[in-house]
Amino acid sequence: MSKGKSRKQRTNKPPIILPQGFADTAGGKGSPSLLGNQSKHVQELIDILKRNNLTELELEREGVRIRVRYEQGIKTVTTTVADVGPGTVTSASQAIPAGSTPVEDTSGMVTIASPIVGTFYRSPSPDADPYVEEGDYVKKGQVLCIVEAMKLMNEIESEVDGRVTKILAESTKPVEYGQALFLIDPKATP
Amino acid sequence: MFKKVLIANRGEIALRVIRACKELGIKTVAVHSEADAGSFHVKAADERICIGPPEAALSYRNIPNVLSAAEITGADAIHPGYGFLSENAHFAEVCESIGIKFIGPTSENIALMGDKAKAREIVARKGLPVTPGSPGELKSEQEALDAATKIGYPVIIKASAGGGGRGMRVVNKADDLARAFQAAQAEAKSTFGHDGVYLERYFLEPRHIEVQIIADHRGHVIHLGERDCSIQRRHQKLVEETPSPAVDEKLRKEIGRVAVEAVKAVHYRNVGTVEFLLDKDHNFFFMEVNTRIQVEHPITEMVTGVDLIKEQIKLANGQVLSIKQQDIRLNGHSLECRINAEDPEKFTPSPGLITKYNAPGGFGVRVDSAMESNAMVVPHYDSMIAKVITHGRDRQEAIARMRRALDEFVIEGIKTTIPLHKRILNDPDFQKGHVSTTFLDRFLAG
Repeated sequence: MSKGKSRKQRTNKPPIILPQGFADTAGGKGSPSLLGNQSKHVQELIDILKRNNLTELELEREGVRIRVRYEQGIKTVTTTVADVGPGTVTSASQAIPAGSTPVEDTSGMVTIASPIVGTFYRSPSPDADPYVEEGDYVKKGQVLCIVEAMKLMNEIESEVDGRVTKILAESTKPVEYGQALFLIDPKATP
Repeated sequence: MFKKVLIANRGEIALRVIRACKELGIKTVAVHSEADAGSFHVKAADERICIGPPEAALSYRNIPNVLSAAEITGADAIHPGYGFLSENAHFAEVCESIGIKFIGPTSENIALMGDKAKAREIVARKGLPVTPGSPGELKSEQEALDAATKIGYPVIIKASAGGGGRGMRVVNKADDLARAFQAAQAEAKSTFGHDGVYLERYFLEPRHIEVQIIADHRGHVIHLGERDCSIQRRHQKLVEETPSPAVDEKLRKEIGRVAVEAVKAVHYRNVGTVEFLLDKDHNFFFMEVNTRIQVEHPITEMVTGVDLIKEQIKLANGQVLSIKQQDIRLNGHSLECRINAEDPEKFTPSPGLITKYNAPGGFGVRVDSAMESNAMVVPHYDSMIAKVITHGRDRQEAIARMRRALDEFVIEGIKTTIPLHKRILNDPDFQKGHVSTTFLDRFLAG
């Protein structure tokens, strides 16, 4: 394994997903071509990812940055709760995908449900604008809201591209596991 | 007194706790998995929060979700029931650190008594009788061999982090020890996450006798008599009774005294149970302490009149014990049958929809259950669906009432172990009170 910088990342920026055959082909124009042995690094990253149950891994070396994200068919959410104690956590944040596999109801809408128990907030802070409004077009991985649990701010991401047709939960109110938060129309275009 | 209690459990025990809270004027929060959304205990509570999918690890044992539910509902205490998080020292500790009262013993009590080898050591050092065995955990095969030679075969190898009758192996001769030792360690590691094991003499036909204790924060401890839980299948209890047919008043005082001394030695708080083995000559030996309310607690309630769940709540609230040892009398006799959703002969699970449910009643009959007509028995959890408890002036009357109650009990749509219980009650040895922990195996074999 190279001595390049690699770190586990949990971020709400859309990750770069390497298509299946990318490692085998030359890179795009303007970027250094991906050499044969670098495809080996990509495979090593993927192996490290799987062995350690990570979702993203980034490697930077010799001017090339490779980020790999592992996508599973069925989402299992692993939430790590920071040590809870009075005053030890003021604001920590993490992004987790919406808990249940996105449910398509009969009208073709996708329901984004809460994967945890907590308090629903539409904005990152009381005086900030809400993350999204009804009618907004959102992309997969985009943060829609925060569910706060035990002083930990959990950013809930959209599972699909689409238009927010309905906001189903009320800001500052408690939500339970599986409670519907947003309805998204996946067939809508920007 | 607490304003609101969250019950971190399900089924009959959740309902039991909700009932005690209602009687004390305390509001209740039922947390439930998606599978239990329509459950009777959820309907009985004042508030409900869904905390996860059916899998227990993601719902009933999901500490962040349970604590978050307590936070958003403003609960000031959590009752963990039995199983799930009830003997999770880490959970008790987290509750303590965030200012939510854990209704049960302290996290130190749980951690200490959860280490079965260490608990034996502490009790032995107090000069109290323990089953002859290894002083603590066995560090090597050689140590195991030496200990077994000293104690005498047969021996039983047990997991230190175990309990509930799991992770145990009987060894009849020295040749089998090495293999059993390694297998027990591996099993302990995979089941309980810790490979520590210890060794005890294996009694051939012992009785399982356990003593109910209650302790307050000032160190006052009383016992509420013994329960005989010898009728077990694969170390899972099926029928319990109090008083034990094998224990007379003199022995009761003695076992009770030892149980109280054992829990005092570890500064135990709240309600707990001390388990003993009784051999054929009526010698008794300390086995372990269960740091929770037990499934069979109702039979003690029937003979003593003490509401154990209310005592747990009051003690957790900081009250001192209002009952003195001399106030405790065992009146009459009580029996409990655990009804499981299983085939009564093959013991295969029988989940499904209960199409008709009609629980027995009448003088001296109590049923603790969260089942009802059109309730779904889901496969994700323990198969016990009801406890039938009877009380009578003597053992004969308690048995007659149990027989009558089981005849009346209607559960259609699934298979239950009611027919098995009826057979047990009709057995001549059972009727004479001649049972030991090998009773059911012999009974089932033919």
